Amino acid sequence: MAKFEEWIKASLLACTMLSVLVTALIVLSVLSETIRFFSYIPLADFFFGTEWSPQTAIRADQAGSSGTFGAVPVFMGTFLVTLIAMAVAAPLGLYAAIYLSVYASARFRAWAKPILEILAGVPSVVYGYFAVITLAPLLRAGGDMIGLSIASESALTAGTVMGIMITPYVMSLSEDVISSVPKSLSFGSLAIGATQSETVKKVILPAALPGIVSALLLGVSRGIGETMVVVMAAGLAANLTLNPLASVTTATVQIVTLLVGDHEFDSDKTLAAFALGFSLFFMTLLLNIVALIIVKKYRERYD
Amino acid sequence: MIKLFERRTRIAMDRAKKKKGPFIYKSYSKKPKHRWVKKRKAAERRFRRAGFIAIAISSLFLASLVWNIVSSGRSAFTEAQISLQIEFQADLVEQGAYRKIVQNSLIALFPEVEDRKEKRALFGLVSRNAPHMLKKLIEENPALVSTKKDIWIPAASTVSVFYKQRLKEQSKRGGKITASHAAWITQLARSDRMQLKFNMAFFKNGDSREAEQAGVLASSIGSFMTILICIAMAFPLGVATAIYLEEFARKSWFTDFIEININNLAAVPSIIFGLLGLSIYLNLFGLPRSSSLVGGMVLALLILPVIVIATRNALQAVPPSIRYAAAALGATPTQVVFHHTLIYALPGIMTGVILSIARAFGETAPLLMIGMVAFVADVPKTFVDPATTLPVQVYLWASNPELGFVEKTAAAIMVLLIFMVLINLLAIYIRRRFEIKW
Repeated sequence: MAKFEEWIKASLLACTMLSVLVTALIVLSVLSETIRFFSYIPLADFFFGTEWSPQTAIRADQAGSSGTFGAVPVFMGTFLVTLIAMAVAAPLGLYAAIYLSVYASARFRAWAKPILEILAGVPSVVYGYFAVITLAPLLRAGGDMIGLSIASESALTAGTVMGIMITPYVMSLSEDVISSVPKSLSFGSLAIGATQSETVKKVILPAALPGIVSALLLGVSRGIGETMVVVMAAGLAANLTLNPLASVTTATVQIVTLLVGDHEFDSDKTLAAFALGFSLFFMTLLLNIVALIIVKKYRERYD
Repeated sequence: MIKLFERRTRIAMDRAKKKKGPFIYKSYSKKPKHRWVKKRKAAERRFRRAGFIAIAISSLFLASLVWNIVSSGRSAFTEAQISLQIEFQADLVEQGAYRKIVQNSLIALFPEVEDRKEKRALFGLVSRNAPHMLKKLIEENPALVSTKKDIWIPAASTVSVFYKQRLKEQSKRGGKITASHAAWITQLARSDRMQLKFNMAFFKNGDSREAEQAGVLASSIGSFMTILICIAMAFPLGVATAIYLEEFARKSWFTDFIEININNLAAVPSIIFGLLGLSIYLNLFGLPRSSSLVGGMVLALLILPVIVIATRNALQAVPPSIRYAAAALGATPTQVVFHHTLIYALPGIMTGVILSIARAFGETAPLLMIGMVAFVADVPKTFVDPATTLPVQVYLWASNPELGFVEKTAAAIMVLLIFMVLINLLAIYIRRRFEIKW
């Protein structure tokens, strides 16, 4: 009997180790390819080069056969799209969270929450389709009307749709934070005569600030790693620009274009995708850890 | 003064009774207000309105998303079909010249067409798959040889789209339709030889180069096979991990490390899991590319942390008294867990697992990495056959510029969303029906 117990425990532990192994596998597999990539291409060229054209020619002696792997425009594009997404998601998500946790009646909540949950559950490929079929032509027509030329694969389109996609995520995270601020604080503020909005701005939000910052950081990390919306709605050419109306590319788009289709596994091109992937993994990991530290360190305890 | 206070209290109580949300200060006196008060109240109203607008924008977006997809995908469930009088001439059947049979019947219908170029345009009215259909018909029923029969044959997708849009009085958006095509279509429609029929092909076929023949069966089956593998791998692994962490492990730096690790894993971008699958499963283990086996294994890693977190929450919700009671009656630690705690936590675990399956079901990016974007026309029979999934099919069709595929994309999204809704309803049902409130 005791042996059986031990056996079960051991197998549970084995499963746990296997789950942990996944992280190790990610790091090892992606890192080893990345190291191989950097044995061909110098580190500085990748992180500081401003020219990204990984198309390797068919014959080795052809001009431009090596391709250039300066990832700055790619990261810039990722940054730009994520920035636009957060410009949409942060106000929408925060205001929605405040309204739902402070103002909304029970009946309104019962309607609004499921809507936002559905929005969170829609697959990203559907958002991508919406961006391409509906929003891009709409924005272009709107741009034409006021005399702006908006690229059909503009950062604005991809960013806006991605923002809407992240909104429910930011909202549910910050709603949890807001509702975890003790009621006594806001009652105190209301009792001295502050209005509800003054209470929110001067009492609840400062108390919830670390949590909200970490919610926004998690939103950013989602945006950086989001793939389908940008693959469908953002461009392929790497332009080094901060113009939201121009077409930009992102790290995830490049990973997909470099790896979809049959390639030999050893070329610089496929290895470049792993280098991008590793940077992506590293960035999101960093954001998550920073978010965790902020919450741990600055959260005030009200016990 | 006291009267005013009483009145406010009564209003507040009423509001509380009607569950109308928190009592918001409102002045009921008729005295003119100070401008500061006015200013503060205006700020209050603005703030409140901003919150409401944020929710309204999100809802509006959802509404326009759904409306858009339904309005452009609805038409894909019907297709135009042309009734042709097919004569199965014995010699042509013998030669397997089914294309010729179709062409003959089209010429019989429009005998005035003489020009070679015009004739080729005429043959373009029907689906390029028509000869294949006739061949199948003959194979199923050899008695048809040397007989004449009226058969409904699907029109080419451009013709179909044009016909549907004419029905909606939007003839100028017909796509690549020539004037003679339009004239023939009108003639066919007048004589009732062209009709809109329910598009069975959409549910019976896999992917196809011809829009009118493309369907979602292969990708749906592929999705289910992938999910099956995914559950088979992620469910036991995730639940076992959670049980160990929650019930057996002593708190130490090691369990802390695992916990942080799993939480971080839940936030890793999905495409990274695709890279993992590519380099470990495909290149190291040599598993077959584009198969539902590899797809399921990649998705399993993706939802593993979600399942672990959900299971831990469900286990935590079971009160310790249950464990103590079981242990007091002489149950061993594993008996306590497997006979009592786990049973009570099961509804919560199932809800979490089903929701994570919904997530895996809609996932696209990691599957692109392991080659599930291949063109798959046949329903996959085993787990190692090339397969594709519904969201990937949506992606593939969305990148096809042909007009016939635009409505197919929206229709496939509708199918995908219906599956998602069903999965979520199942989760809600389990939560409502079985969850125990302590």
